[in-house]
Amino acid sequence: MKKALISVLGPVIILAFTYSFASDLISPGAKIIENMKFPELNWQVPEVGKQVTRTVLPKGLILYLMEDHELPLVNANVMIRAGSIYDSRDRMAVAGITGTVMRTGGTKSFSPDSLNTLLEFISGSVECDISTEVGSASMSVMAKDLDIGLKILYEVLRYPKFDTAKINLEKSQIRDGIRRRNDRPGRIIGREFSHLIYGDHPYGRILEWSDVMNISRDDLVAYHEKYYHPNNIMIAFSGDFDTKSLLKKVKNIFGDWPIAEIVFPPMPEVEYKAKPGVFVINKNLTQANITVGCLGIKRDNPYRYAIALMNFTLGGGSFTSRLTGRVRSDEGLAYSVGSSFGTNSRDYGTFQAHAQTKTNSTYRVLQIFKEEFEKIGRDLATEHEFETARDAYINNFVFQFDSPEEVVNRLMSLEYDNFPPDYYRKYLDNIRAVTIEDMRRVAEKYLKPAEMTIVVLADTSQISGDLRDFGQIQYMTLEEPKVD
Amino acid sequence: MRKYVIMLVCLAFPSIPQARQNEIHINAKTHTFPNGLELVVVERHWSPTASFIVRFKVGSADERPGITGSAHLLEHMLFKGTETLGTTNYAAEVPLMARIDTLAHELTQAIDRARGPLYRGDTREVDSLKAAIAKLQEQQRQYVVKDELWETLLRHGGTFLNASTGNDGTQYFVSLPSNKAELWAFMESDRMREPILREFYSERDVVYEERRLRTDNDPFGKLWEQLYAAAYTAHPYGWPVLGWASDLETVLREEVEVFFHQYYSPNNVVIAIVGDVKFEDTVKLIDKYFGSIPPSVIPPPAVQTVEPEQNGERRISVEYDAEPQLAIAWKSPAGGGVDKEVFDVIASLLSRGRTSRLYKSLVEERQIAASVSASSDFTRFPELFTISATPKAPHTSEELEAAIYEEMGKLALDGPTTWELERVRNQIEADFVRGLQSNFGMMFRVSDMQALVGDWSYIEKVNERRKAVNAADIKRVMAEYLTKEKRTVAYLVKPEEKIPVPQAAHMNEFKQGRAK
Repeated sequence: MKKALISVLGPVIILAFTYSFASDLISPGAKIIENMKFPELNWQVPEVGKQVTRTVLPKGLILYLMEDHELPLVNANVMIRAGSIYDSRDRMAVAGITGTVMRTGGTKSFSPDSLNTLLEFISGSVECDISTEVGSASMSVMAKDLDIGLKILYEVLRYPKFDTAKINLEKSQIRDGIRRRNDRPGRIIGREFSHLIYGDHPYGRILEWSDVMNISRDDLVAYHEKYYHPNNIMIAFSGDFDTKSLLKKVKNIFGDWPIAEIVFPPMPEVEYKAKPGVFVINKNLTQANITVGCLGIKRDNPYRYAIALMNFTLGGGSFTSRLTGRVRSDEGLAYSVGSSFGTNSRDYGTFQAHAQTKTNSTYRVLQIFKEEFEKIGRDLATEHEFETARDAYINNFVFQFDSPEEVVNRLMSLEYDNFPPDYYRKYLDNIRAVTIEDMRRVAEKYLKPAEMTIVVLADTSQISGDLRDFGQIQYMTLEEPKVD
Repeated sequence: MRKYVIMLVCLAFPSIPQARQNEIHINAKTHTFPNGLELVVVERHWSPTASFIVRFKVGSADERPGITGSAHLLEHMLFKGTETLGTTNYAAEVPLMARIDTLAHELTQAIDRARGPLYRGDTREVDSLKAAIAKLQEQQRQYVVKDELWETLLRHGGTFLNASTGNDGTQYFVSLPSNKAELWAFMESDRMREPILREFYSERDVVYEERRLRTDNDPFGKLWEQLYAAAYTAHPYGWPVLGWASDLETVLREEVEVFFHQYYSPNNVVIAIVGDVKFEDTVKLIDKYFGSIPPSVIPPPAVQTVEPEQNGERRISVEYDAEPQLAIAWKSPAGGGVDKEVFDVIASLLSRGRTSRLYKSLVEERQIAASVSASSDFTRFPELFTISATPKAPHTSEELEAAIYEEMGKLALDGPTTWELERVRNQIEADFVRGLQSNFGMMFRVSDMQALVGDWSYIEKVNERRKAVNAADIKRVMAEYLTKEKRTVAYLVKPEEKIPVPQAAHMNEFKQGRAK
């Protein structure tokens, strides 16, 4: 079995690629680089059963382990299947507060203060969080403190006390965050774009103080009770330990935590529908913040590789990309400009292009965006662009696994996200299979300028040019957040 | 078959809660080349990758009024290529750049005139010169291979590719698969030898946009810039790394070129490489590519200005349409200076972690702050020891400021507890170990120390000095340095009266939406 895998893949050999564009367009330096010979990079994707141990304890707890004795440290990262995605609009804050107060609110054996003093004295950390689609926790301790680290991690996960004072502290911290949510332009436009695209779906809904103020300790206890069971938890360990003895410790500490049946509420689906228009938000700024985008794909979409390369060429490959080349390098209109195309989201993610530019360049930037969206779906990329994108993805792949912690976390996430176990083994072949025509086709399919949501946050009195050229304008006002 | 970055030496500290058990050292090797270039290599072979950094010992503190922002501009410009890279026909670019330079000279003069009494506000000349420059830049573009250095590194697997500029240094860094070391050496040495500052004036506009983004439209960026400007009256740490806006409008390509030739020679450079490389091979590689770059004839000029002693509290307010924030700063010694490590320990006692004094008292118990942070940096010249804090409504900046002094007063009077000091010492050791986890992080640390002190191993020495700080030191230093007459206090406040912004005519008809 193992042999078969090796022969399918073989060692990943990363070769020097040569440039293939017309010689009259090549720089003298590129000719020198073309003649460089780079030694082969012999490297294999780390796998379960080889460098990494995966094991399932009797109560269903899944463990990934990779030893590394260079430094006397042990790191653990935990994933719990939970998240605010399962909750209705009025309960959306429960998950996040639960995640924070699990750690800050003390446990059965440790008061909030004693947790802090104990951990900070040994310069260790245990932290928790629950976001939209995952509950997480982490532990980092010096190897000699592993026992106490494990004990605290276990207590925090299984026996959080949810001290009322710490619940109130977290709620008032959230309230202050809401009060400040219009301080920074980047925060405003990110929030408003997501809300326009997703509406009140968990991917886009906006947290209000009224969602937070009435959450009680009982809510947190119930939330924890619902999702935190060993059969719903995975832990990835890396660092300075002996696998056998660590497994024994984990069994001793976590072993009596009983299995429980968890009924997951249905997840709301994203409605795949365009929200075209130019949404203008007025604020007294000297720079316009621009985001243009639309719904994209789910992570099981087979075109994800072609999309990744296409977006690299369009706006994801920083200076190598067209949007940056034109808006920033050619015309000096923006420092920050580019695009992202989410390919890792469970439900529909987004494509987004963004720029910050002096207010009276808003029209010009939108014009360039539109031209480039049209062009990449209409004309084939050049051979050079295609090879640059493809080679970049192939050559930087090794960095996804450049530390033991990275390795176990990636393999654990793969399982959490229900990707096939051979995802990384097949990754490079999937990238190599993409053609120039694939890149054009996915751009044509997913980037339709007429269906894009355009958000402009700016001092609107300084915008020159008629933004109606890009769609119907809807004027939005930035309201003072209600926090009383 | 692993090689160790570090050597483990077991000491005789037996059990918990004693944190100190192993002493760990960085296993770096150094080499200085005849042209003055210093190399630091740390071999680590876990992953077939390595992190590379070129650190020039020049930053914004080496500039002068009128050309502030030049070091940062050069950070951008060194990605624009050379005679070898970034061009298909350098000879054809030369006359175009000469014409652009002439027009840029005229533009700077025109901007001066438009600022002066006779032509006040008349921007016609400025606009027409800008248009003429843009036209020539467009002509030049036919010979330019866009961002070739960046693209080539990305294509070959470059990750974390970027550069940064500070008061004290400018650094260019990237992580690459280790088989691409020679590619990196070729391109880095090429631009160290003689960069061509092509597309200078469009890049200057880009940097102006960066300023708008980071400073003008960011409440904290704005507050910070003004805090430094108020705290320093003479020393160049008082001006922003990004440069003043007016300098970015007028600084010329030739001025930045002169700056380059003064400071960017191999005798002013540290290279650090951490990862899957061999020291002997790396010395040969660096020698092959960088060894022939001549050192500067005149050594880089030193910063002569010393900030005079502050003799009274300075208070400023910065108006911005955002919720209030607060920053307090005191002068503290340069990295390695007398008492510097005491400040590092004070910062940790005050704001590191949930047990720290300011966090526990102001955020957790009294809940008058949403966040609070004290910081002490290792720098070339005396830096600011800062405390920044965000008041939590309905509490005000005034209340928060008073509460900060109250907590500091307690620490200054009673000194830290034994437990607190031991906590800090344990964290110093653990931080050091955690800092060695990634090639990229270690690369920054060794190159930073080698550049600032001339000895990478000072990373370890400074930790020893921090661990030696005792309660009496804390009390003495707080009483001596952290006083009212030596502080600068900056408040971010809302503008007193909001000026209504008229809406553009073409937006009148639109539907009223709602945003939060």
